[in-house]
This record gives sequence, C-alpha cells and structure tokens, in this order.
Amino acid sequence: MMDGESRDSLVKILFFAKARELSGLKESRAKLPANISYQSLLDTIIEKFGLESIRDSVILSLNEEYLAANGTLNLSDQDEIAVIPPLSGG
Amino acid sequence: MNEEELIREIVALRKTLREKKDTLRRLQRDKHVVQECGLTNEEIGRYSRQILVPEIGVKGQLKLKKSSVLIVGAGGLGCPAALYLVGAGIGHIGIIDYDEVEINNLHRQLLHSEESIRVSKVVSATAALTRLNSSVNITPYKMQLDSSNALGIVKQYDVILDATDNVATRYLLNDACVLTGKPLVSGSALKFEGQLTVYNYRGPCYRCVFPTPPPPETVTNCGDGGVLGAAVGTIGVLQALEAMKIILEMSGVLAGRLLLFDGTETLFRNVKLRPKNQNCLICGDNSTIDKLIDYEEFCRAKANDKNPGLKLLKESERLSVKEYHKFADSSATSHVLIDVRSHEEFEICKLPNSINVPFTQISKPNGHALVEQVIRSMRNGDTRIDVIVICRRGNDSQKAVKILKGLINDEAVNIRDVIGGIHAWAKNVDPTFPIY
Repeated sequence: MMDGESRDSLVKILFFAKARELSGLKESRAKLPANISYQSLLDTIIEKFGLESIRDSVILSLNEEYLAANGTLNLSDQDEIAVIPPLSGG
Repeated sequence: MNEEELIREIVALRKTLREKKDTLRRLQRDKHVVQECGLTNEEIGRYSRQILVPEIGVKGQLKLKKSSVLIVGAGGLGCPAALYLVGAGIGHIGIIDYDEVEINNLHRQLLHSEESIRVSKVVSATAALTRLNSSVNITPYKMQLDSSNALGIVKQYDVILDATDNVATRYLLNDACVLTGKPLVSGSALKFEGQLTVYNYRGPCYRCVFPTPPPPETVTNCGDGGVLGAAVGTIGVLQALEAMKIILEMSGVLAGRLLLFDGTETLFRNVKLRPKNQNCLICGDNSTIDKLIDYEEFCRAKANDKNPGLKLLKESERLSVKEYHKFADSSATSHVLIDVRSHEEFEICKLPNSINVPFTQISKPNGHALVEQVIRSMRNGDTRIDVIVICRRGNDSQKAVKILKGLINDEAVNIRDVIGGIHAWAKNVDPTFPIY
C-alpha cells in the first residue's frame, strides 16, 4: 500500500483536436503518481500542457476507455491517456 | 447585358431547367414490375450488389426503402453522407441547410459544382442526388434549424445525421433527438481530424459526454482552421454507414464509443464512452430540460460558422482600410503593420511591409515579447510609433490590440487595428487582392 502510493508511472499522453492545437503536440510522455485521482490527473495535464481554456470541455480516456470524473486511477507504465475535446466543424 | 445581369439570368435558367427535369423524371417513372419479394425489377437490378451482402438481403433493402433519414447540413459531412444514403436506396431523405454554395465549398462539398455557386445548398444537393437516384424522395429545407422548428422536422425521420458546423446546433440537435427519441449520428471534422459517434441510441447523449459547451474562443471552425475534403468526407461516409446499420437493426452500431480519426497517420481509434449519465440534464432520470432552449445563449456563440463580427474596440482604436491606406502613404511618424493571421494565410497574400506575428503566438504567455521586439527594431529610441494590427476580417486584430494594450505600457506606442482586415482591403482598396 505504502509502495503503491509513492510509485510513479511513465504514461503516454495523446492530444486531439483543440488539445493538439494548444499544446502543439500529438503525444507526449509524463511521469505521474501511479495512484492518482481523476481530478489531480486532469489538473496536472491541463497545467503541464497549457490547456486551461478547455479544462471544462474535454474528456479523458485511459487505454481507450472514458474516465469518470469521480474516480481514482491506478496507472502503469505504458498506459495511454488521451485528451479529447469535442470537434464541432464539418 | 452586364455581367451581373447575365449571372442572374443563368442562375434563373438553371433553376427552371432543374424543375422541368424533375417533372419529367416523375412523369417517366415507369410502371414497375413488382416481384413477390416486394422489390421491383428496377430495384433488384440497381441494388443487387448490396442485396447480395448477407447482412442486407431483400429484407434489408426493403427496410432501407421504408426508412427516412434527416441530414442536417449539406456541407463537407452531409454531401458524402447523402450520396451514399441515396445511392443505397433510403426511401426518404430530408436535407436542411440555410446557406448558399460558395466557391470555397467545392473542394469538399462534392454534391455542389461550379454551376451551383450562389444557389441554395439544399437545392443544389437535391438536384445532384436526384441525378444519382430519382426514386428517392428528397425533401430540401432551406432554413436555419432552431428551437422553434427542430422538433417538428426531427420527429418525421427515423435517423438524424448531425452534419453541422457549429456547437450551438449540435446541442440543439442532441436535445431535439432526445426529446423525440431519435438516434443521432454525429460527425465532425477539422483539418485532418474527425470524430464520429451515435448518440441517444443504447448509450449516452451528447450532453452526457460533453455537458459543458467549449468556450467560444476555443472553437476553431473550418473557415479559420481549414479542413481537408478527404478527411471530412471519410467521416461523412461513415455517418451514412452507421445510419444504415441502425435502420438494418444491426448490432455493431458505433454507440457508446467515440471514433477518433487522424488522417495524418490514417489512424482510427475507438474510445469507449461513459454509459448514459443518470444526472444528465436532458436524458437523465430527473431531467430538467423538457423543451428546446436558446442554444446560442447556452453556447455563447452563433449557430453558424460565419464571421462573428466582433466589436471589442472603441472607434478611436480602429482605422478603416481607406484611412490606413492614406496613413501608410503619408504618415510622418514611423509605423509597424503587424499581420496576425497564420503563417499559411500570410503565405497566400499580404500587404506591403507587413510583419507576420500569428495571433496564436500573441495570445500565448509572453507572446507579446515578439511584438515588442518588432517595435523596438522599427523605432528610434523612445520616439512615438504607430502599431497597426491587421487580420483577415477584423476579429483577431481586435483581440490582439486588447492583449497588446494590456501588456505594452508605453504612451508613445499607439496601437490600433484595421476594420474588416484584408477582406475590406480587397473590397475597398485593392480589387486585385484575393479573398478566401
């Protein structure tokens, strides 16, 4: 338990749509606590990649599964987090 | 006869021709031989290559024939979607669009042609679709879908396609589909990217997934960000596919999953979405929205992707293109002309002696450093200097002036923008300048 709380995981972060435009990145890597709440994960990503303006309108996914806003995650190395804002053009 | 009159006459003649052709087609619809299976010989011949597919068969073809699909938006998504649905023999197609065809549509909105420029998009689309398959009943709606008319139209169709280009209409359509119990095949695209999912069908609705509209200043539309025809077309074609799967009652419908298409790498990712949100304001257990609301207010944005016509600056902070023209020619004080369009736009055309600092850079933290550097290089010590900001249509230039004024605290630096940007320049000063 103690170990789990202090461990970090090296995860891959994918950016789509406006998140790609704002961060200037398609993907990146980040060292994050293995045990992390959704809210701290969101805060960390938003701050680290300059996404403040779209904070309330993105969804996050972990390994291609939607992340619920109230959960706590257990991240492993190689996990893939995606930052997905809605696209509205057409 | 002058050019304008001639163009008007040609447009009118084309309209008459289309109407007469339609009448002729209806008259010629011959007395079909109907087989015991329920399809006519003509239908069997026309649709044979899809009837042979086990998932479709005669039963499936009859389902398609009896079904109706509403396509909202006759643009980059709606055109390819409509082509495949009409080709496949959907019985009734409705198409809504308030807009008229412009030349900058033609690279991706392939139902329209050079002949359709200035013609209503739904009229142009109906003509093209009727040429493809005259047996499909097509209802064009030349109107802006809004809270007063959406429910009445949506409820007449089996499946709704969101092929629109703006946030407000997306929420409007979602709510209309939830209130009428219709599946919503939602597609969107920008640049090389696309998104696709089916809302309100054995899964969440748009509001369950995106309860809060994005701040308007973070929304990029195709007119500003650009879009590749083949990328948006890919999503449009997939919208037709999903609509047909719903009509055929197949199990693999893209509901509860969001498809992310990245055309730069030709990657398709499927993200599993959340289940229906029990607390969703429109489709949840205790929904509080029981009728359509004001979506432009909700999204703080117009229900189109046209020029927002911002008014952020005082008159004294702005120059008309004619004033700028005179000023640039005669000004005794030195001035800098900063063009805040993207590098790509700057490459298309530019005013003489303009310096390109894209708005995306200015709006970043420390973005003004670049502008300060430009000003320093043009200025002799602390002498007075005029900084003129220009963009495409006079919106970003106002935002840029606001940002720069907040950051550059120097009385001797007079920062203003050019009203209407280079569009106004093309219209009022230099008619040889391109408009895009």
